[in-house]
Amino acid sequence: MSSIGTGYDLSVSTYSPDGRLFQVEYAGKAVEAAGVAIGLRCSDGVVLGVERILHSKLLVKGANRRIQSLDDSIGLASAGLLADGVHLADRGRDEVWNFRETYNAPIPTQILADRLSMYVQAYTAYSSVRPFGVSSLVAGVDKTGPRLFCIEPSGVFYGYRGYAVGKGAVLARTELEKAVGKETEEGGVALTCREGVLEVARIIHLVHDDNKDKEFELEMTWISPESNMKHAVVPADLLAEADAKGKAALEEGMEED
Amino acid sequence: MNQLHSFQAVPSTRNAFDAYSTLPEPPRPQSTHAPRAHTQQPIVTGTSVLGIKYEGGVMLAADNLASYGSLARFKDIQRLHPLGDNTCLAVAGDMSDFQYMTKLLDATLRADRSVSLTDTHPPFSPQNIYTYLSNLYYARRSKVNPLWNAILVGGWDKEKKESFLAYVDLLGTTYSAPTLATGIGAHIAQPLLREAYEAKAGVDGKGPLLTGQEAEELLDTCMKVLFYRDARSLNKYQIATISNDGVKISDSKSSETEWGFAEGLRGYGPQTQ
Amino acid sequence: MFRNSYDSDNVTFSPQGKLHQIDYALEAVKQGSAAIGLRSKTHAVLLTLKRSTGELATYQKKLIRIDDHVGVAIAGLMSDARVLSNFMRQQAMQSRMLYGRPIPVGRAVQGISGRAQNNTQQYGRRPYGVGFLVIGRDETGPHLFEFSPAGTTFEYYAHSIGARSQSAKTYLEKNFESFENASLPELINHGLSALHDTLQQDKFLTIQNTSIAIIGPSSDEVEDISISGAAKRGNFRVWENEHVDRLLRAWRRSRGEPEDGPQEAAPAPEATTEGGAEATDSTAATGGDSSSTEAASAPASGDAPSSGTGGSGDDVEMQ
Repeated sequence: MSSIGTGYDLSVSTYSPDGRLFQVEYAGKAVEAAGVAIGLRCSDGVVLGVERILHSKLLVKGANRRIQSLDDSIGLASAGLLADGVHLADRGRDEVWNFRETYNAPIPTQILADRLSMYVQAYTAYSSVRPFGVSSLVAGVDKTGPRLFCIEPSGVFYGYRGYAVGKGAVLARTELEKAVGKETEEGGVALTCREGVLEVARIIHLVHDDNKDKEFELEMTWISPESNMKHAVVPADLLAEADAKGKAALEEGMEED
Repeated sequence: MNQLHSFQAVPSTRNAFDAYSTLPEPPRPQSTHAPRAHTQQPIVTGTSVLGIKYEGGVMLAADNLASYGSLARFKDIQRLHPLGDNTCLAVAGDMSDFQYMTKLLDATLRADRSVSLTDTHPPFSPQNIYTYLSNLYYARRSKVNPLWNAILVGGWDKEKKESFLAYVDLLGTTYSAPTLATGIGAHIAQPLLREAYEAKAGVDGKGPLLTGQEAEELLDTCMKVLFYRDARSLNKYQIATISNDGVKISDSKSSETEWGFAEGLRGYGPQTQ
Repeated sequence: MFRNSYDSDNVTFSPQGKLHQIDYALEAVKQGSAAIGLRSKTHAVLLTLKRSTGELATYQKKLIRIDDHVGVAIAGLMSDARVLSNFMRQQAMQSRMLYGRPIPVGRAVQGISGRAQNNTQQYGRRPYGVGFLVIGRDETGPHLFEFSPAGTTFEYYAHSIGARSQSAKTYLEKNFESFENASLPELINHGLSALHDTLQQDKFLTIQNTSIAIIGPSSDEVEDISISGAAKRGNFRVWENEHVDRLLRAWRRSRGEPEDGPQEAAPAPEATTEGGAEATDSTAATGGDSSSTEAASAPASGDAPSSGTGGSGDDVEMQ
């Protein structure tokens, strides 16, 4: 970041001499500071999980959700500036409404991710706005099956089998690669949603370890056969089980060290 | 700056007839259109629908016919539309307006469901949906562009643990009663429904309500009578049952009918005299 | 002129991914006098400290009714608060008109948060300079939300905003576990104790500077329902001036203090000294409560807009 302070990093409509858009990169920094959000595509659905960091103990338990619904079978988990995540979800619901009004059919997950990414891109192209300070995981099940996408502040989006954004995302992605890697091995099968919930919870606990000073709540949703292929919160008993197992796995790992 | 604005405003009023803006007032835009007319009549229509409160909820009935004028055009149309898990509509009148309206409501409820993941707020009650529909229909008729329907809203309010049944039509007219019928059903079926309802519950409705079975049999009777007397009806209909267990919509069914008496009617069959 | 090159407008991220203009707007909230909110499983209450700009001025209003079932307490720029609360009222009325349903409290708050977020993403706008505590009750029970200029909302068991609100927060954090099952008088007493902690040493809670709003069934222990239909119905009501006397007395009794309260020689207007003092206090207070320590130090230096001057002009806007 040698260009810091040279004036080429003050507006999103200004390139630096070597062709970078620093304001977009800075927006990415806001993402890296936020609690991790993880998505995992499973054999029978998709699982989303976030580490909801509690900045005060006066916060109501279980409230202040970070994962939002865009359609009956599409969820969105953002990491970054909270208010930007809500803005993007609002826009997502508009797209859902608009698509259904035009085609009388539910919006495919990929089309939604595409439209949202174009919206995000527009905020990287004008000096009169700033980029979105969020990376967002879009999870959905449609005719093409379970899908997972991630939209970055730059407006690019890619499909994933598993992905993580936010603080500790790099470690989380390594763990996801291990989990997803098994399915590509000889005779390997993809995790089911139920297994996916446990896996995502485990990884969230694992990556949280780095900043133990702040408490967090585990928040998880899924689109699975058990939720009638609708985007819904993971049932309380399964969430509690996943939370406990994630915690236990972490302690086990520490003993090994 | 202000002056500049007003100066610039002048050229915009110039046109071919007044190139130098010499007229004291800009010429009025000429109307090139005839007066605008909206819907004057429904096209593809469904006939009357019925509703009654029973001891555990509400039942609605509607036949499967969508007529094109007097032609029995579509014979497998469902005119009962569930909304969420505690409300159901029975819709008479224009079928395309019915489809438009249900799409609008479905989208509204879907958006509400999405937001409720965040705040866990319960969905719209039957009363909320009815209020929305009433506003929609009154607003449209006030634009002299009505949605050409008569609708019964049946529901079960989970908070209050009570049933809900009300009427709204293309004029935005609203009312509520323990038995309801639209269109010709209001003349032919409503007296039958009321009679049976009041026989048990009393005129004040304070007595026991009909059981589910009694209510269904009563609706079967009424649908049969309507099939006999309503030339726009079909002997193929469905019943929606809305209770604490949710909305259940029956398969299509028919009434046993007897047409032997018709042989003696003038105008039925080949004319003999 | 600016502290760094990244804080002059609202659409520029710093290399750390921060938006300094938002952090500065959060400081504006801390310039306003304190507001406190608490909720039990039956009630939600707001308590505020009102300021007066001088002996001839009235104490400024801090509590705004939105609907029968929603009300807010404000800290920060009064004019921004009026715009936002007016918008909330419109949303509340629209929900009643269109669906015949009182607006769900969380959605009423989300409505203004969306607007606030907009002001953080478009050039030529500034973030709102006001924070809200919103209480309400709906089909999911009583609620307390915080709205902030960043465009975020959070739901709390108890919370405080405004000048010296950290002191109140300390009290609330120590006691909030008992709030859930507290009676209305108990809840109010906790709130007044927390509010009391935000006062400077020589200041006291008086009927002039204290106002209390309640949502939930009335309690004849502290309320006179014969003069308030809202209280009778459990709707949002505000007790202030002579009507707050009863609540203050009950609170002093509960603390074993003389019921009449401490007698100040002259109930001097607070504003004359408060401006400067508060700016300092709020800086000290932010260390612990703010997630952005970077920004917390902002108004400490002498060039922050309103610190040091202590002019009453600031106080007219900052409530």
